[in-house]
Formats: sequence, structure tokens, C-alpha cells
Amino acid sequence: MLFCLMRAPGSSTELPATSSLITPSHRRNHLKLDLGISSSSSLSAAIQLSKLAERSPLNCIWIREALNTQRDIFTVTSIILLETSRIKVGIGITSPLVRNISTIARAAATLSQIGRGRFRLGLGVGGLQSLVKLGLDAARPSALMRDAATLLKRIWRGETVTFTSDRFCLSNYYARYKAGFATPIYFGVRGSRLLALAGEIADGVILSGPKRYMEKAVAAVDQGLKRRRRRMKSFRFIVWVPTVIVDKKSDLYLAREAVATVLADTPEAVLEMADIAQERVKPIKAMMAEKGVKRASRLVADDLLDEVAVHGSPEQVALDLNSLEKYRVDEAIFGPPYGREPAKAIGKMVQAWKKLK
Amino acid sequence: MEKAKIDFGIGLNAYETVEEIVGKCIEAERLGLDYVWIGDSPPHLYCPSIAAAVASRTKKIRIGLGLLSPLLHTPDQISGSKISLTEAYGDRFEICLGVGDRSQLSRVGVDTKLAKVWEHVLKAKRKIVRSLRSSGATTKIWLGAQGPRMLAVSKSFDGVLMNYASPMMIKWAIDKVKPVAQKDFDFGIYAPSYVYRKWRPQAYRLLCIASAVVTLGAPKAILDEFGLGKRLQRAKEEHEAGARIESVVRYVPNEVVDNFSIYTPSSKLSSYLRELGDLGISHVVFGFPQNLSKVTIRDLANALPNR
Repeated sequence: MLFCLMRAPGSSTELPATSSLITPSHRRNHLKLDLGISSSSSLSAAIQLSKLAERSPLNCIWIREALNTQRDIFTVTSIILLETSRIKVGIGITSPLVRNISTIARAAATLSQIGRGRFRLGLGVGGLQSLVKLGLDAARPSALMRDAATLLKRIWRGETVTFTSDRFCLSNYYARYKAGFATPIYFGVRGSRLLALAGEIADGVILSGPKRYMEKAVAAVDQGLKRRRRRMKSFRFIVWVPTVIVDKKSDLYLAREAVATVLADTPEAVLEMADIAQERVKPIKAMMAEKGVKRASRLVADDLLDEVAVHGSPEQVALDLNSLEKYRVDEAIFGPPYGREPAKAIGKMVQAWKKLK
Repeated sequence: MEKAKIDFGIGLNAYETVEEIVGKCIEAERLGLDYVWIGDSPPHLYCPSIAAAVASRTKKIRIGLGLLSPLLHTPDQISGSKISLTEAYGDRFEICLGVGDRSQLSRVGVDTKLAKVWEHVLKAKRKIVRSLRSSGATTKIWLGAQGPRMLAVSKSFDGVLMNYASPMMIKWAIDKVKPVAQKDFDFGIYAPSYVYRKWRPQAYRLLCIASAVVTLGAPKAILDEFGLGKRLQRAKEEHEAGARIESVVRYVPNEVVDNFSIYTPSSKLSSYLRELGDLGISHVVFGFPQNLSKVTIRDLANALPNR
């Protein structure tokens, strides 16, 4: 699990309070719990979980775009926004490589209107494996993300935009709709340059990766935050890692599968930042490509499991997620895979969270 | 040709707020219209999301998505939208595919000068059908067509929505498609419209602009077929030079506009629709600016037969 070092017998459940990133103004006990779902879930399940989240103290529902699924992320997100009225709903994430930038701009503007300001747009280069399958080139990701975010903001401001790069081409383009509500952009990125870019131009960042990577990732974002002309008080750090409520030891297979999936898609630079030797992950990646997730999950060693996923009893998972606060994390996303029975696992997690808070 | 029962729909251009669009769709349903068609174009809001908002607030009116351009959206994105909508709101959705507004598409970097663009649209349709079938869904897929090439392709679709209103042009198109189309194939039109009880200059001006957009986007073959090409020369030159459509419209002759739009006082709509029915048209979508306000939608609905 992500912060399982704190769960070691006899150890404190607190992280060492030595991080230079903790500012005096940082509020204690402010970390909010979000719910993560995937666009690959059946829509009825997604709606059921969303309604559950709406009734609970959860803060936001994040919907991950699964490119291999038969659902359109923007349509699914519209439906979730229409089925809820209080909770924030975000896409976490979509890639500017898979849709025309004008389409992302108008889809996001539509969702912001539908949600009356509850929508958040997560933007990232995309999962490495998915991009390869689609034949998309993720070269020069910093330029891609900078241009994408800049263009979105210009379009939403109602500017007439002319811009040409190897990825984008707009010529005298302007939106005829009025954006209406502001759409915050959250970068779901991993390399240090991209993280710094998130700090520089995004409204927040969705971090995902191994535990040791997180500390360095937050520091990288801070570099970007320092480059801002104006101080960004509302910038939000969000962490999304696989979380699993484990009732029985056998439930750990869920966590192992999630970790295998995450590791297979983790860039070498991120593994390096997390001090995880490439050699440990290569067999998992190879098995994933050759035989699929079930077989790959068998290669996930216990320490890697603990490093990448948050798992345990509801109380333990709540405690571990809450401990992220010490890194200035504002929101932690619960799930998937949640547990053997997702709805029950979410219910238990919400109860544990209420007790903790 | 046998007389077809005609379904009536209103086309909505999604540049108003979601709330305004939904309000008009609720009114269209209340007035007994059969369809609302939500347009999709780069400068407008996102059609599938609008469709979701409309479906969530209406009960039975059928909702058309499109025209959706496979040059802008992948087949997976189109089928993914339809699958998601059907899962959430039932089988009330239809799709219209087509090349789309070339001028707007080129502004967002889409290459509309692809060789055999019709082949691209056809391949997308087949992929969408495969994807829908694999998820257990089906849908009616229309083709938005004007010129001879796209009309020829339309036989592989469930129906064709033609982008003109003149009975002469419609007959020409039907004569091309009918002999090769399947038995249950539907012929429809989707044209800029202004059916009025009380004439309003603002609505008429918008009709001229909408018709000019359609006219200037029409394939050369069809303009030449009906002797319209030369008369549009000046307008085309100005438009291609980057002039806004609002300033180009004065170079588009009224009689050219008439061929591409439904423009009639409400008292004369029935006779026009009878003519369409006699030609075999079974679907009529009244496009912009008929959707200008709930009043203009009501004027239309009150003029429709048997409502």
C-alpha cells in the first residue's frame, strides 16, 4: 500500500513531519476524500456508485477514461453530472492526443454548464500502452500539455485563435458558445518537467505512482508553482492510487492486479524517481503484454504491492489516505478496485472516513 | 411513388446555453414534434452531452445526434456516445453522419480535402455498426448528403438526410438513390427553415445566413447541375478569402437561398409537405432559425398537419 511503512508493527501511523513542503498556512484536517471510477465500468454501476457518493461526504467523483472501452468519457461524465447535483465530477484524465482540441474545449464547456460549475477537466498525455495501441506519438509531452492548456483557456475566453504546431492547428477559430462556468484544468502527469508545468499553468495536479515518487512529485510541482507570476492559493494536489478494502487476505489479488496494471504503464523516469529498479518491473510489463493482468499480478512482490497500492481494513485505508495531508495533498481518491464488493467497500470506507474526520 | 408518413423534427444548433437548448426541446416534445436533432460543429457545444441533458428532461421525443463528422470524431467516440446514451436513457437516439461543415472543420485543422472522403465516412459507419452490435445496441444511422457521390454512398445507410428543400432538387436526389436503396430506406430533408405566422426580419436575416452557409458548402456538382455555380462565384471568392458569412450573404441571390431552405408562411406549409410526401420524403427536420425561440417553434408546430 502507498503508505504502508506507517503500518509496520509498532510504528506510528504518522509520516515524519519533516517535509519542507509543509507550509505554516497549510490547514490541518482538510484533506478530502474523492471517489474514482472508470469509464469501463457499466454505466448502471457508475451511476449507482455516483449516487452513493452524492449522499456521502465524498467531495468529487473522478472518472478515468479507458480508451479500450465502448463508452465516450464526455458522454458518461455528462450522465453522471445529470444524475447528481452536489458533488464535483471530474474526468481523470483525457488526452489532447485523442480528440481535436476544439472538441475537448466545447465538451468541457458543455459539462461545466450541465454541472453548473461542478466539472473538473483532467488532462494528461495518456497511458503509454493505450497510446501505443492507438498509434499515437507522445513525443515532446511538455509542449503538448502547455499548448493544450493554453489553447483551451484561450478558446474558453472567447478569443479568435490561430495557432499551428505539430499537434494542433487552429485557424481563425472561435467558439460561438459562451463558456459560462469556469472549468479548472488538472494535469494528470508524472515526469518532473510535466509536474513542474502543472504547477506553472494548471489549477491542480493528479498524482499517481509509488509512494517514494510522491514526495519528489510534490517537490517538482512546487518548482512550477514558484514560476507563476501570481501566487496560486487555490492550486490543488490530488492523489489517485489503487485502493482496496481487504476483508480477507485473498482479496489482495485485486490490489495485485491493480498494481500490475499501474506498473506496466509507469514510465522509467517515474520508477527512477521512486527508486524502483527497472529490472523488477520489466518482467511484470512483459507478462502483462504477453499473458495479461492476471498472470502479471502474480509477479507483483509484496514490497511493490505496498509501494503502489493502499490496502487494508477501511480504518487503515482511511488513515493511510489521510496521512497524505502531510504532503499538502488536498484530496485523495478512493478506488478502483475498492474491494471485492465495490458498493459495500465504498460504504465501509465512507463510514471509516466519517469516524476519522 | 407511394406517399410516406412524415416525421417532423426541429434542428438545434448548440451555441445557446444547455439550459436554453433543453428548454426548447421540452417545448418541442410538448408540442408533439417527433424529433429534436442536436447539431455538432466545432464552434458549438458538444452534441452527445447536450443529448444527454435533453434526454434526462424529456420522456419520449426521439433525439438525433448530428450531423457528426467522422473527420472530427473517431467511430469509437461516436459509437461510445450512442452506447452510453442508450444505456442511460433507452433507445431514443439516432445518428446522422456526414462530412460536415468544411469551412468550420478546416478552422480546427481537419483535412476536408481528403481523397475519397465518402469512403472515409462509409468506413466509419461500418465500424460504428460493428461496435454497436458487439455491445448489443443498434441504431438508425442516417447519412447527411448533398452531391452525387455522397448520395450514391447513402444506399449503405438506413436513410439519407438531404440538405436542400427544393422539390426539384429532392426529386433529382431520390431518383438517384431510390433504385439502389433497400426497401425500408428513409428519405429525409434537413434544411434551414423559417415557417412563420408573423414575419420577423431578424429571423429572415438568420435564415439567409444559414442558407448561405449550406449553399456555399454544397458540392460543385450539385450547384452546376442546377445552374447555381456561376451565380455564387462572388460569394465563394469572398468566403474563401476569409470574409465572415454575415458579410458574404449579400452576394448569395435569394432564389439560390430558396432552393436550400424551407421558407414559407405557416398557412402554406401543408401544401409544401404534401408535395414532399408525394416525393417519398418521410422525415423533415426544420433547421435554424426555426429554433430561434419557443415562439418560432410553436409557429411551426401549429402549422404542421395533424398535430
